[in-house]
Amino acid sequence: MKALRQIGALIRKDLGLQFRSKEALVLIFVFSVLVVLIFAFAFGPIFPERVERGKLTASVLWAAFVFAGIISLNRSFTLEHSHGALQGIRLTGVDASNLYLSKVVSNVVFLFLLEIVITPIALQFLDLLDVVTVGILLKLFGVLGIGTLGFCAVGVLLAGMSTSANGGESLLSVILLPLVIPIIVGGAKSTVSLLVTGGLEDGFWLKLIAGYSLIFLAAAYLLADAVVEE
Amino acid sequence: MRLRASQLTKDFGHRTIVKNATLSVHPGEVVTIFGPNGAGKTTLIKILATLLKPTSGKLEIEGADAISESSDVRSALGVVVHENLAYPAFSPYENLKFFGQMYGVKQLEHRVTTLLAEVGLQRFFHEPLHIFSRGMTQRFMIARALIHSPSVLLLDEPFSGLDASARQFVLNRITQEQQKGTGIIITTHNTELGHLAGTRFLFMINSELEEVAQKNEIEAETLLQTYEERLRNNAPKGL
Repeated sequence: MKALRQIGALIRKDLGLQFRSKEALVLIFVFSVLVVLIFAFAFGPIFPERVERGKLTASVLWAAFVFAGIISLNRSFTLEHSHGALQGIRLTGVDASNLYLSKVVSNVVFLFLLEIVITPIALQFLDLLDVVTVGILLKLFGVLGIGTLGFCAVGVLLAGMSTSANGGESLLSVILLPLVIPIIVGGAKSTVSLLVTGGLEDGFWLKLIAGYSLIFLAAAYLLADAVVEE
Repeated sequence: MRLRASQLTKDFGHRTIVKNATLSVHPGEVVTIFGPNGAGKTTLIKILATLLKPTSGKLEIEGADAISESSDVRSALGVVVHENLAYPAFSPYENLKFFGQMYGVKQLEHRVTTLLAEVGLQRFFHEPLHIFSRGMTQRFMIARALIHSPSVLLLDEPFSGLDASARQFVLNRITQEQQKGTGIIITTHNTELGHLAGTRFLFMINSELEEVAQKNEIEAETLLQTYEERLRNNAPKGL
């Protein structure tokens, strides 16, 4: 009960802080839209076949979400370090693993809401909105959700380590991107499959990101104490 | 015994910041540690607050080993350090509500409103912390440290940068907590205020703690003279 109460309070606090700063919200949203627009104008206005459009849209979506995710993770931990709030949280006696879990959940929720807004915009600009059914769109959000979970499972652990260091913001990108390659590749492949065929074929790529996410989530949950305490 | 530290040492690389510090605090006792800037007071407070692990030594809080079981003993501690340990974008009300939920404080709404009124922030319930002056921030930091009614209070330079009324407020609050049986450790370089607040005095000079006297054994003026003499004797050559 105590752990659940603390995790709930931490998630509410994280989301409250993320949505409190309008500048950061606008920055992340505008950045994501900009990525979509750059690709749309570079390859448009006359788009190739559905196969090529599907590949292009998958690339645009994952590029936008990975970079928006890095901004969000950095910001999430900068807020904890700037006035010693993380130390204040440690003083409450909260388990480091629960602190880690709450950060993963709040970042997943925040990024998933962004994905819900950006995905239809990308589909519209890349001329796929008409051919994507509600069913495909829901499956697409499922893929994005699992990918985001994996991305945050890795990202929260690394952001916790890097943002307290000098140059932590750039350090996070350097150490995070190699570790999330399986998620980006698996997520992009699953997205292409969904947008082109409407299905996930044998689901290999989705199983890969789900498995990778769970392994990282479990490992990071166990390692969280060492990261937070040191 | 609220807190007992023995032979605490903290090294950063080849530099020893805290050397063999031994001290204790009993219920209702206010231990004041005087020391110049850079003496290691803040590092010592962070070790006592379990925010830093000592290189060697022992620390017990409420009878439990605070080094191996740090997260279990933390809820006994109320800590005020230089940083406000809170979220500047949130109001004092939101911050206290959040920290109160984390500690599992009963009747939280009542506790938060009462505490904010006690520290004189009732007019600023919903203003974000980042607009607060130093004195207002210090009042909030004390409220944050007291939200869960801790049995040990660690105050690092609580009078620093405060005007006369804010200093008086901090002094009064220390006395109130002392009367409740809280064990309190204060660090300061202000001998007058430190003498007023404390019941037992220590010096921390060049990373080492030295027991000086109980309050009834020494006047404020003598304490100041002794402190200045120790500082002169320990000053680097050429100064």
